Amino acid sequence: MTTQLSTLSRRDFLAKSTLGAGLVLGAPSILRSREPGAPADDIRVGFIGCGKQHEVLFNAMVNIPGIHYVAAADIMRDRLGRTFGAIRGRFDTQIKRYFDVAEMLEKEDLDAVFVSTPDFWHAPHTVMALEAGCHVYCEKMMSNILEGARSMVDAMDRTGKLCQIGHQRRSNPRYTYTLNELIKKEKVCGQIININGQWNRALSSSQDIVSKPSILPKADILRAYGFGNGATGELTEEQLRHRFLNWRFYTALSGGPISDLGAHQIDIFNWFLGGQPTSLQASGGRSYFKDREHFDNVMCIFDYDTPEGSARAFYQVLTTTSAGGGYYESFMGTEGTIEISEREAYTNIYKESGADGTKWDELVRRGLLKKEAVGQAAGGADAIASYESAPPDKYALPGGLNKAPHQPHIENFLSTIRGEAKLTCDARHALESEAPIYWVNEAAESKETIHFTDEHLHT
Amino acid sequence: MSTEVTSENDLSLFLGMLTLRLWLAMRSLQTGLEKFTGMTSGATPVEIDGAANSYGLTESTMTKTYGFGYYQGVPGPLYDKFLAEPLIPAFGLTLYNLFLGPVLLLLGVTLLIGVATRFTLFAMGLVYASLTFGLILIKQDAGVAWLGIHIIMIVGALVLSKHNRFTVLKKW
Repeated sequence: MTTQLSTLSRRDFLAKSTLGAGLVLGAPSILRSREPGAPADDIRVGFIGCGKQHEVLFNAMVNIPGIHYVAAADIMRDRLGRTFGAIRGRFDTQIKRYFDVAEMLEKEDLDAVFVSTPDFWHAPHTVMALEAGCHVYCEKMMSNILEGARSMVDAMDRTGKLCQIGHQRRSNPRYTYTLNELIKKEKVCGQIININGQWNRALSSSQDIVSKPSILPKADILRAYGFGNGATGELTEEQLRHRFLNWRFYTALSGGPISDLGAHQIDIFNWFLGGQPTSLQASGGRSYFKDREHFDNVMCIFDYDTPEGSARAFYQVLTTTSAGGGYYESFMGTEGTIEISEREAYTNIYKESGADGTKWDELVRRGLLKKEAVGQAAGGADAIASYESAPPDKYALPGGLNKAPHQPHIENFLSTIRGEAKLTCDARHALESEAPIYWVNEAAESKETIHFTDEHLHT
Repeated sequence: MSTEVTSENDLSLFLGMLTLRLWLAMRSLQTGLEKFTGMTSGATPVEIDGAANSYGLTESTMTKTYGFGYYQGVPGPLYDKFLAEPLIPAFGLTLYNLFLGPVLLLLGVTLLIGVATRFTLFAMGLVYASLTFGLILIKQDAGVAWLGIHIIMIVGALVLSKHNRFTVLKKW
């Protein structure tokens, strides 16, 4: 096992990898790799980062054939050991383990790497891997800073390698079906005027992550890997380890809850509406976790100009309550509402009482929708008839996803490497969608409306 | 008269011991076996306009499957909690995770067929005591109480062990 830690700092790396590189805007944003019909040998895969999100990805990969697991890199020995054990146990393969990513990329012959490091390392690791000739699957958020995300698009264009960003809903059949069949083709929502999305997470799930000190990296390693970024003064080992485990709380290391949880869902707003917002208002507060650098609760409103007219989208990420229906994105139109979530349990479709019932019955007959319940008026002595709208009928999608939520997105990535598909969320499209999110914290801090220009949103 | 009463008591105690043996053996055997299970999913494509849809929407079925590949001695969520405990060394947890399933299977089999029943019961008690230790650390009081019931049953079986019959190896 390699035990030497690299002396290459993040800053050195960024300087080496991104400065002086011109933007290659002419490169295709949706990329293919091997020519169709090329031999579909096993794809040699490496992992950069072996924490929790890596486990999510690996568990989504285990049922995908044609992968040869080669190596993994992480600065934490225990995590490397667990990854090694999981792969050996499942596939009887002994991977190489590295503390240093650059060394892994230099020594191993890899076709693709999966980047699931903290957000502030996404761009350096992705650029490094692309420049080493690897295709990259990188977790969202692309970076903690917009420039980092732009450097990834640049590197993808410059190297001609694939770079898939982990907005896994873009490959989820439930989402692609809803967009293409229900919204675009059958127009079940009518004119979409409002969008509402949320991720409400319980206080108990938002606590500090703790770990046994004996298995955590030492202070000098954590400093070398940038976990002291943004701090004023010298940090103790305990403080550095807190940052290592809880990097999501620190502004120099992540974008906070709005990027951590909101990015997936605001991506769906932009994807389904087919464009970027025109303006943004936001509010946030450190209302409960007063010592955290990021807001613990954020609410924001995006305005859109769509071909059908103007629309607005409200999004909230709450880390102090789980009430309110979990996490979903709700597209509310004049004829119907589609409330979709990665979780089937949170997905509902409603027909407005004034919508054409014959059309909806026909959709059910053809198998495009399932009817679940006829709308029931709540009734009661407190109901005032003139205030009430007729309740909407409830419908459901005709089927679900019988795989781990990340599996179709990884399959899309691997199929594209084999030349059999197109990326559903390459870095350029991901950044077009992510760019507005980078401005939410700033809008919440300034309490001012941001009117987006190309300067804000360009890739 | 007194001979008949003793004989009836012996029969009751023997049946009591046999019942405890069967229960504890089944508990251990099946718990060990369940550590080799996983869920395999099946799917039927959803039909739209009379044909399978092109998106991959499915109606799913989940099937429980047994296999060595699914083995997990300590369930994932518990493993992570134990790993964060200072009193549980990582290497110890790794070994425990590796051996817990096979040990439960072995003890279940030996108790069922009656091989060194008393030592088997004692070993089973040690396993449940070790599990109790972990659950105390992570404050799973309901689990601790549940394992406490197991310990009482093991002690009951040890008390009745002189009435143990149908054994392969009666010694120990």
